Amino acid sequence: MGVPFFQEEFPSTFDAMAEILDKAVDALRDGCWIPPEQEACTRLCLEEALVNAVRHGNEGNRDRKVCLELEAKEDRCCIRVYDEGAGFLPERVDLPSADQLGGRGICLIRHYMDSVFFNEEKHCLEMTLRRKACCKGDGHHE
Amino acid sequence: MSEGKSPLLNFEAHGKVTVGTINQSSVLSAFNVAEFGVEVLRYINEHPKLNLLLNFEQVDYLSSAVLTELLKINRGIESVGGKLRLCAISPVIQEIFDITNLDKVFTIYQDSCQTGIKRFLRALEIEEQEAAWENG
Repeated sequence: MGVPFFQEEFPSTFDAMAEILDKAVDALRDGCWIPPEQEACTRLCLEEALVNAVRHGNEGNRDRKVCLELEAKEDRCCIRVYDEGAGFLPERVDLPSADQLGGRGICLIRHYMDSVFFNEEKHCLEMTLRRKACCKGDGHHE
Repeated sequence: MSEGKSPLLNFEAHGKVTVGTINQSSVLSAFNVAEFGVEVLRYINEHPKLNLLLNFEQVDYLSSAVLTELLKINRGIESVGGKLRLCAISPVIQEIFDITNLDKVFTIYQDSCQTGIKRFLRALEIEEQEAAWENG
């Protein structure tokens, strides 16, 4: 069982979320998980997953908590987002048609992350980021 | 010339085209993306038949919440007989439109704002000429 190198819990507000998002991106950068040119899309995926947890999982109820966890497993970083909702299967979310307003966040995550799935055992959304060759050698957290 | 300023974006008229410049990337964070949409829609409703060029020069990336607001803005502007174009779209942002298939919904100019204005004005001119020709 690995030990997360980053673990933060916060109430379901966007203010609290923004702070944790910045800290998590800093941790991924410091751990050499993301090259500079992929920072924007990695931040995007974290934001999409956290907004989803705050807005849909916890229905914006600030008394419910969201937790973000980063754990290194060899050349992969597992990014886990926990909320107090029922959970959902990302693979069942199709790309919406042009006339539908929402529902594109999970499609962006699927594109940019190496994998995304609902971890039944831990009851959380789990994304996987594989360390890129250009980032090898300097990870402090493994 | 119609102009408008707010912390989120500036509107500036250039002939038949109005440029809406998004002030900075943080405008489009989860906090105020809805406010951004409301503000643009309010401006559109105050200026029917607006030819709006949204300038993304200062925007680093877009979330899906921004895409939702852009779709609402597009619907809103079409409902009052206006047109929407997006300009100064970086390769990172272009990719987000491509992944979500919204590159087929929006007319996107990757060019700078100045070039975007010229292209939009030229497109409007051609459209007017075509309409005049069809109407004899």
